Amino acid sequence: MLQSALAGLAAGGAYALLGACVVLLYRMVGVLNFSTAAVGAFGAYASLEFLDLGWPYWVAALGGIAVGTLLSGGIGWVMSRWFFEVSVGVRSTVTIALLIGLLGLAHRAFGDAPKAVPSAFPGASLDLGVTISSDALLALGLATALALGVGAFLNRTLLGVQLRALSERPTTAELLGIPARRLSLLVWLFGGAAATVAVLVIAPTRPADFSSLSFLVLPAMAAALLGLFQNFTATLLGGVAVGLLEGLATYFDAVSPYRSVLPFVMVLLALLWTQRGEVWDAAR
Amino acid sequence: MPPAEAARTPSPAAATSRPPVRGLVLGVLAVAVAGLGLVLPSFWLFLATGAVISAVTALSVGIVYGRAGMISLCQLSFAAIGAFVVAGLNTQGILVLPLQILLGGLVAVPFGLLIGLPALRLRGVNLAIVTLGFASAVDVVLGLNAFPGADSGEYVTRPALLAGDPAYFAFCWAVFVALALGLAWLSRRRAGLAWDAVRRSERATAALGLSVPGTKLWAFGLSAFVAGVGGGLLIGQLLTVSRANFEPVFSLMAFALGVMLATQYWEGALVAGVAMALVPEILRRTGLPQDLTSLLFALGAVEALFRGTGGLAARLRLVAAHRRARDLPAGLPPLPATQQSRPRVTSAPGGPVLELSNLSVRYGQVAALLEVNLRVERGTVAALIGPNGAGKSTLIDAVTGFKGYMGTVALGGRSIDAVSAHGRARLGLRRSFQQDRTIADLSVEQYLRLLSGHDLGRAELLEALHFLGGPHPERPMDSVDVGTRRLVEVAGLLAARPQIVLLDEPGAGLDEAESLRFAARLREVPAVFGCAVLLVEHDMALVAAACSQVTVLDFGQVIASGECAEVLGSPQVVRAYLGGEDAA
Amino acid sequence: MPSAKKSSSRASILGAAALLTLLLGAAQTALAQNKAPIKIGAISSLTGAAVFPESSQAAKAVFDRVNAAGGIGGRMIEYISEDDKFDPAGASQAARRLIDDEGVVALAGSASPIECNVNAAFYAQRSVLSVSGVGIDTKCFTSANIAPVNVGPYSEAAAAMYYASNTLKRGKVCFVGNANPAQNAGYDGAVARWEKLSGQKLALLDRTLRPGDDLTPTLLKVQRAGCEAVIFSGVEPQVVAWMNAASTQKIKGIDFIMLSAAYTDRLAKALGNVGNGMYAISAFEPFSGSAGTLTDWHTLMNASKVPLNSFSQAGYVAANVMVDALKKVKGEITRQSVTAALRGLKNYRSPLMGSAYTFGSGANNPNQSVKIVRLRGGQWVTVNTTWLRLPAAGQ
Repeated sequence: MLQSALAGLAAGGAYALLGACVVLLYRMVGVLNFSTAAVGAFGAYASLEFLDLGWPYWVAALGGIAVGTLLSGGIGWVMSRWFFEVSVGVRSTVTIALLIGLLGLAHRAFGDAPKAVPSAFPGASLDLGVTISSDALLALGLATALALGVGAFLNRTLLGVQLRALSERPTTAELLGIPARRLSLLVWLFGGAAATVAVLVIAPTRPADFSSLSFLVLPAMAAALLGLFQNFTATLLGGVAVGLLEGLATYFDAVSPYRSVLPFVMVLLALLWTQRGEVWDAAR
Repeated sequence: MPPAEAARTPSPAAATSRPPVRGLVLGVLAVAVAGLGLVLPSFWLFLATGAVISAVTALSVGIVYGRAGMISLCQLSFAAIGAFVVAGLNTQGILVLPLQILLGGLVAVPFGLLIGLPALRLRGVNLAIVTLGFASAVDVVLGLNAFPGADSGEYVTRPALLAGDPAYFAFCWAVFVALALGLAWLSRRRAGLAWDAVRRSERATAALGLSVPGTKLWAFGLSAFVAGVGGGLLIGQLLTVSRANFEPVFSLMAFALGVMLATQYWEGALVAGVAMALVPEILRRTGLPQDLTSLLFALGAVEALFRGTGGLAARLRLVAAHRRARDLPAGLPPLPATQQSRPRVTSAPGGPVLELSNLSVRYGQVAALLEVNLRVERGTVAALIGPNGAGKSTLIDAVTGFKGYMGTVALGGRSIDAVSAHGRARLGLRRSFQQDRTIADLSVEQYLRLLSGHDLGRAELLEALHFLGGPHPERPMDSVDVGTRRLVEVAGLLAARPQIVLLDEPGAGLDEAESLRFAARLREVPAVFGCAVLLVEHDMALVAAACSQVTVLDFGQVIASGECAEVLGSPQVVRAYLGGEDAA
Repeated sequence: MPSAKKSSSRASILGAAALLTLLLGAAQTALAQNKAPIKIGAISSLTGAAVFPESSQAAKAVFDRVNAAGGIGGRMIEYISEDDKFDPAGASQAARRLIDDEGVVALAGSASPIECNVNAAFYAQRSVLSVSGVGIDTKCFTSANIAPVNVGPYSEAAAAMYYASNTLKRGKVCFVGNANPAQNAGYDGAVARWEKLSGQKLALLDRTLRPGDDLTPTLLKVQRAGCEAVIFSGVEPQVVAWMNAASTQKIKGIDFIMLSAAYTDRLAKALGNVGNGMYAISAFEPFSGSAGTLTDWHTLMNASKVPLNSFSQAGYVAANVMVDALKKVKGEITRQSVTAALRGLKNYRSPLMGSAYTFGSGANNPNQSVKIVRLRGGQWVTVNTTWLRLPAAGQ
C-alpha cells in the first residue's frame, strides 16, 4: 500500500511544480493560467525533437526549456500588451483560448501521436524498502526549491518586493516607476521554464500525448487551490498530496480506475471550503 | 426566422409598429432551410446536420457564458449525458426518439445544477476550473463505461418518420429554431434579462430583487438542458457514440466559439455550428492541415476578448441597434391618451416607511457607522448628506442587505434584519448604485423591464420615462450618456413601485439645469409613484430643492437631523462640511 | 446515385446549394464512363491520439504497382485514403464522403481504432464491403461487411494467453489493457475462449488504463497479484513506459507479452536493453525475420519508402486481396460486382498470412495465425518458426 502511494510521488512532485507555476503567475501577474501545462508540454516536446536530432539528453532538455521559456514569454508579451488593463477573469479566459490554440499548434509542430519521453536518470531509483524513482526525487526536489526559493525571493529581495507591489497595484506600481510590463514579462519567462521542467520530469513516467500532458493543469490547479493561490508551501504540499492520493487509489480496485477524477473532487471541496464565507465579491 | 425579429428589435410593440417584413423573410428562410435535405447530396446533408447539432450546443454555451457570464468548459459533458439517456431508452425501446431526446435534456439538468452549485459562491475563473474538472471526470467515466448498447454493438434506431437523412435534418433544424425562439422570447422577459444582470454585477442583480444563486442555477440548468438535447440529437444522427465524441477539448472549442461569435444569439450559434462542420472540411479540401481549426478558433476568441465588446454576433447587433437608434426621433414617443391623466397615487397614511435603530457597522476596530438612528416617513423625500467618507454608502449597503451590521432595520414597521439583499428588494426596498452598473447591451426598454421587477405594459414604462424625461426606449443603453443612464435607472426603480428608493448620488453627471429639473421631479415622486425617497447626495442645491427632511452624517455618526432648511443652516453642519472639504 | 438526378431538376430553383448538387451530378455522370478509374477507399487514423498511416501507404504502393502494369482491364485504380482523425464524427464523415460523394466500389487497407464501430451500419446500408487492414474495435470482427486481414487484438490476446499458459507453461497469467468500452466484448470473448482452451483462469484482469496514466501503480498491482506472465495490450508509447517502469521498479521473473501494436522497430530502438526478453505477437510473417515469403513485400515497401512493420504488411495484404477480387470480376466493375467477387473469394492465400482469407456473410475474423517474436538486445528475434494457430475452442 505504501509502495502504491509512493508510486504517485513523481506525479505529485510534478503537480506541485506546475501548481507553483500557476500560483506564481496568479500572484504576480493576476492570471489563472490554463495553458501552464500546455506550455510546459510544448517545451518538453521540443526537447524530444532535439533528441531526435541526436543531441545529448541534457542539451536537448535545455533546448526544450528555452523553447518553453520563449513561448511563455511570447504569451506574456501578448498579455502585457493587449490585456494589461482587463480583469483577472478576462485574462484567464484568454489563456483558455491559448490552451486550445497550443493544442492545435503542437499537433502541427510535433504530430499528435503519443511519445515516449526518456528519463533524466533512466532506471535510477532509491531503495528504502520501497522503491522511489529518480524522477520522483527530482520532481520533489525541484518543487521544494521553487516553492521555498520564490517565497524567499519575494520577501527578501528588492525585485521581489517590486513584483509584489506590481501584483497588488499594477497601475500604482507603474506610477512609482516600477517597470511593470517588463517585470511581468520576466515572471512569464520564468513560469514557462519551470513548467517545461515540470513536464520533462513527469512525462517519462507515462505515455505522453500532448493533450493529456496539457490537461495536467487540472491537478496543478488543485494543488494551487489548496495553497489558496497564495501560499507556495501549501501548494507544494497540496500537489504532493494529490499525487500520493492518486497513487494510493490504485491500491483499491474499486476506485483505481477513477483515480484521475480525484483532483476534480479535491478542487471542488477546496473551492467550496475556501469560499464558504464570501458573499459579495468586492469588485462586483 | 422569427427569433431574429424578436431579439433584434428591443420591443414587441416596436416590432408591430414596423412592417414585419424581416420576420416574414426569416420565417420563409427557416422553412426553406428545413427543406434543404431534399436537395443536398448525402455527404453535405450529413455535414449540415452536424452543423445544426453543433449550433444547438453553441446555444447552450451562449446561455451560460454569453448571457450569464459564467465560464463553463463542460458543455459537451452535458451533451454526453443527454446522449447516454437516449442510448439507454432507445436500446430498451422506451418512448420514441424525440421524447427520448427531450428526456435526455431533462436528465442533464440536475447535473447542470450540481455543477452550477459551486458557481453560487465561485466566480468566473474558479468556475472554469470546476467545469474543466467535471469535463475530464465525465471523460474518465465514459472511458470506463460504455454507452448503453455500444459494447454489444447495438445502434440507436430512429422512428420511420425520421429514418431518412433529410427528415432527420429537418427535425434537428426544427429543434434548433424552437430553442432559438425560446431564448429570444426569454431575452425579453425578466427571467432572461436577469442573466444579463448577473453578468454585469451580482450586487446590482440582488438589488433588483433577483436571487443571484437562483439566476445562476437557472442559467446552468437551462444550458445543460439545451446541451443535453444537442447530445441526444447527435446520437440520433450518428446512431452510435463513444467517449471520443464528447472529449473535453471539444467543450473547450465550443467555449472558444462562444467567446468568438456570441452564441447566445441565434445567428452567432448558427455561424458557430457551420464553422465547426465546415472549417475542417474547407481545410481538407484546400489541402491545409486540420490542426488549423483549433488555432483559428483560439485566435478568434483572443481577438474577441481583446476588443472586449463581445463576440461577432453581439458586435453586429450593436452596430444594427446604433444604426436604428440614429433613425429614432429625438424625444420620447407620446403617451397613449388614456394614460396621461392617470390618477395620482394617494399616499398611505403617515408613519415611518424605513426606520434604522442603533445601526452600527465595523471594519475591524474602525466603526464606519456608529449607532445611527434614522426615520424616513411615508410620502416624503429625505436626504442623507455628509462629507466624503462619512459612511453614507456604507449605510445604504447595510440597509439594503449587502453589508453585515448591528442594530435594526425596519421596513414599514417590520424588522427585515433576517432578510437577504434580494429579499429586501422584493419587499419594496430598492436602491441605485453610485457606480454605473447599467447593462450596456440592453435597450433602454429592456433595462427598464429588468429594473421594474414585473413585466409591465409599454405604457407604464413610457410613463416612468416621461416622468423623468429619459431617452427613447429603443435606444441601446450604451448610446446613452452616463447622466441620462442614471435617470433611466431611477425611472426603472420607480416603475417597480417600491415602498422606498435609496438613491446613491443620482445627480452625478447632470448639469445644473438638469439637476434642478430632476430635483423638482423627485419632489413629486411620493405623489405619483406612492413611494418615499432617501437621497444620498453631494449636490446641496439638489438636496435643498428636492427634500423635506435631511440627516447629516459625519464620521459614521448622525450629527444633525430635521427639516431641510433648518439643518442645512445649522453651524454644526457647516463646520462639518467646511472641515471635511469645500462646501459643495 | 438516383437522388442526384432528381435533385438537379429542383436545383435550378434553389440557388447556391443546388448549383453544388448540379456539379456533383455532373461528376457522377463522368464516373459512369468506362475508362474512369476504379475508386477504392480507405478510412484510417492518420492524425489523432494514435496513428496508423502505414497500412494505407502500403495499400497505395500495391495499387500504384498494378496501375503501372496497366491497371485492371485497362482501368486505373484510384485509391482515396481518408483521415478519420481518431474522431468518431470524422470517421462517419469520411465514410459518407467516400461512399456517397466519391462513389467508391469498396474499401481496402483501412486502419483505425474507431472506424468499424462507427461505420459498420452505414456499410451495410450502402452494401459496401471493407477489406480492412488493421481492424481494432469489436465491430471490425462482427460485421458482415468488414473482414480485416489482421488477426486483431482479441484473437491476438487469446493467442498470447494461450502461448503463456501452454507454451511457456506459466500458471498465473494476467491481462492489463486500456479502458475502452468498445473493446470490452472482444476482450471478454478472448478471455472466455482462452479459459476454455487452457482450463485456467486469469490471475488478474485490469482493463482500466487511460492513455496518459502513470503505469507504475498498475505494475505494482501486477507484482502483488503474483503474475508470472502479463499480456499487455497497450499502444507503443505505453509499452515503452511500461517496460521502463518495470526496470525502475526492478521487477524480475515476469514474462511480458505484447500484442502486435508493440512489434515495431521504433519500439525496439526506444527500449534497447530495457526491453530484453519481452515477447510480442506478429499477426503476419514477422517482418524482422528473413523468410523468403517477405521478399516481394520488402522490395515494394522499400521502393515506395513505406516503413517496414506489421501495419504495412496489413495494408499490403488487404490491397492484394482487393486486386485479386477486382481481377476476378466478370463484366463491369461496380459496387455490386466487386462485392460479389469479394464474397466469392474462398480461401485466398497470402504469403504473409498463416490463415486463408475468406469474406463471409457473418462475423469475419479470418486471420487466426500468429508468430511470436522476442526482443533481445534491441533486436526482434522470431521465436517460433511455425504458425501458432489458435484452435476454434468451440466458440
